[in-house]
Amino acid sequence: MLQKSMRRKSRVIALYLLIPLVIYIFSVFVPLITAFVDSFFEWKGGPQKTFNGIQNYITLFHDETFWQSFGHNIYLVAICILGQIGIAFIFVLMIDSKLVKLKGMHRTFGFFPSTISAVCVGFIWKMIYDYNRGILNWFLKLTGHSDAVKVWLNEPSKVMLLVSIPLIWQYIGYYMVILLSGVASIDKEIFESAEIDGANAVQRAIYIVLPLIKNTLLICIILCIAGNMKAFDNIYVMTSGGPGTSSMVMALYGYTVSFKQNNMGYGCCISVAIFVLSLIVIGGAQKVFNFLLKDKEVE
Amino acid sequence: MKKKLISALLCASMVACMTAGCGDSGNSDKGGTEGSTGGSTSSSDLAYSGDLEFMHFSTEEESQGNGGSDGMRTVLQQWDDANPDINLTQTVLANTDYKTQIQTLANADDLPDVFMIQGMNVKAWAKQGLILDLTDEIKNSPYASDYNEDYFTPFKDEDGNIYGFPALTGGTCTVVVYDSKAWSDAGYDTFPSTWEDVEAAIPKLKDAGYQEAIAFGNNAQWQMNSCFLSTLGDRYTGKDWYESMINKGGASFEDPEFVAALTETQRLFKDTDIFNKDFNAISNEDAREYYISGDAPAFIGGNWDVSYIQASLEGTDLYDTTKFAVLPQPADAQYDKNSQNIGLGYAVAINAKLKDDPDKLKAAIDLAEYITGPEFANYVTENYALGGLTKVADVDLSKFDQFTQDFYNYSYVDTTPCEIYDSYLSSDIWSVVNTDLQDMVNGDKTPEEVAADAQAAYESGY
Repeated sequence: MLQKSMRRKSRVIALYLLIPLVIYIFSVFVPLITAFVDSFFEWKGGPQKTFNGIQNYITLFHDETFWQSFGHNIYLVAICILGQIGIAFIFVLMIDSKLVKLKGMHRTFGFFPSTISAVCVGFIWKMIYDYNRGILNWFLKLTGHSDAVKVWLNEPSKVMLLVSIPLIWQYIGYYMVILLSGVASIDKEIFESAEIDGANAVQRAIYIVLPLIKNTLLICIILCIAGNMKAFDNIYVMTSGGPGTSSMVMALYGYTVSFKQNNMGYGCCISVAIFVLSLIVIGGAQKVFNFLLKDKEVE
Repeated sequence: MKKKLISALLCASMVACMTAGCGDSGNSDKGGTEGSTGGSTSSSDLAYSGDLEFMHFSTEEESQGNGGSDGMRTVLQQWDDANPDINLTQTVLANTDYKTQIQTLANADDLPDVFMIQGMNVKAWAKQGLILDLTDEIKNSPYASDYNEDYFTPFKDEDGNIYGFPALTGGTCTVVVYDSKAWSDAGYDTFPSTWEDVEAAIPKLKDAGYQEAIAFGNNAQWQMNSCFLSTLGDRYTGKDWYESMINKGGASFEDPEFVAALTETQRLFKDTDIFNKDFNAISNEDAREYYISGDAPAFIGGNWDVSYIQASLEGTDLYDTTKFAVLPQPADAQYDKNSQNIGLGYAVAINAKLKDDPDKLKAAIDLAEYITGPEFANYVTENYALGGLTKVADVDLSKFDQFTQDFYNYSYVDTTPCEIYDSYLSSDIWSVVNTDLQDMVNGDKTPEEVAADAQAAYESGY
């Protein structure tokens, strides 16, 4: 009797699971496979496609703009790991200290920016950087630095840093909450004995907290890499990849090639390349991270 | 019990919200009752009955103050009323969304029955067999004798076959909107006719509190092409050069005339104080706000900007002093100093799949003819002093205010038309050119490099 009802229950569960599974397959795997197939065609949209073998991949290999975009994504990843997770880690140590009051409030307000859509964040920061009415130039003028006033988003050498800052600002709180949960699970006695042994705050952070939240940190880094390899929205809003291609990232380039240049076959090839490169970067980062923290592990 | 009651109520309200949402889809629009003038409408003797899809971008919001959109919605309503057996289903999107959406549908070979097409997509989509050759239908249209033949050019293929009924209003893409009082105070009764004079006016304009002479926005990259280079290029190359580019007649982006136009564009934006410093970081919408707020004494944009400026300034002193001028002439340019790029950027096209259903095709052609025909032209002429595909005789401008009259004369009477670059060739060429132009005016690319990139894209993609 019990077995029968269990069997019926597992059938219901399987049925319920089938719905999201079908949606997932349809929205992730089917496009991935069709994009892979279409990447071997010269396809300018519409019903006619011409098979051109690996020609798109050869073009991609020599496409300076694509590799420039890839470089920008790597830059974003690097600066966001340092900015988002690094600052979040410092905030976590500060919030976790005995001296800080109203911890809940800090957590809530810190997390708040990550609930805003990237498009809105892009618009907000575009206004901050605005040449005539932006708060940044206003502040520079107010403090007597009028010569430093610039059309910020039209500076090819600085624009990647400038579009990264909103991303860092937005996600510090997000990683702070994840890291806080990791730190909260550390036994307090370890800190107390470290304190008795004379370890200062920096030593405690490096030799105790970091190794003990290694797995949480790894998840944060992978999330950060994945998020920044597909960066699109706020850059699209702030610069559309400009000036020229100075802030072009891979996803935006794929979009431009597919929908502005109507080169769908090559656009699919770029999508496949983004997928493969992201996997390589995430896998590589995982290996490097494991290697770096191997010696510091607490038994 | 109480919990059950609350959850039942919540469920009921949720279902009500969902069904209300379904019934009021933002995208689908089955017309309405507004806007019908009650004039002569299309004949209702069409044999077809059933659904007919039309996708366009004349949204209700855009139709407020925009003559073309208002006219389009009005004649669509008239046609819909005159054909009760046909269920005209309209999908209406804002222009930017429309361009992406229609491109996606074309890529998926899933275009609606009737839709708006941009000139630069015609050749590629015709080659793909996505759109119907309408040459005979246009020749046999009841309004054929009234058509302004020049407007068909962007919608033809290499063999001269026509794939669309040019739609909406013939609007300029390059106009200098200026405050005649500010320029008169700087010593110019009319807007300077040469760039040298514009440069000479800068010190006086700065004394008067202006930061720049002309406001311009190019953050989306197309503006430099559509609203500047297209006209400035014509001043250097003349009309034959671009015709040769369209017809692959031997002209090249690397021809010295075109490179000279690029060089002058770079000089004006990079080496002079004529334009606002942030031109590459702001949109045309932001730039026209500089004019509206009185921060800039002039602005360069297109007819869509003029509609907005008119609606924003009405009743102010600046409205009365606002005038229009052509782009000033560069010192070394040899061709028509009075040119401005004007045309009908979109046409009504028909899905090629409709040829399998002759009755539906007839209905689609009737719709296309009607919404681009004399009813539309008369409506926009009478209400907005704008022109459409069909010619309107004896336009009475006296009932319009000076602003509207001036813009009508600028658009259709006092200037020479030249082509809008990106109504022709193909979108992949312009995507490359537009990106390069933004680099070029920053000084990060030379005009020769831009020309070489453009020519490479032209040779591989056209």
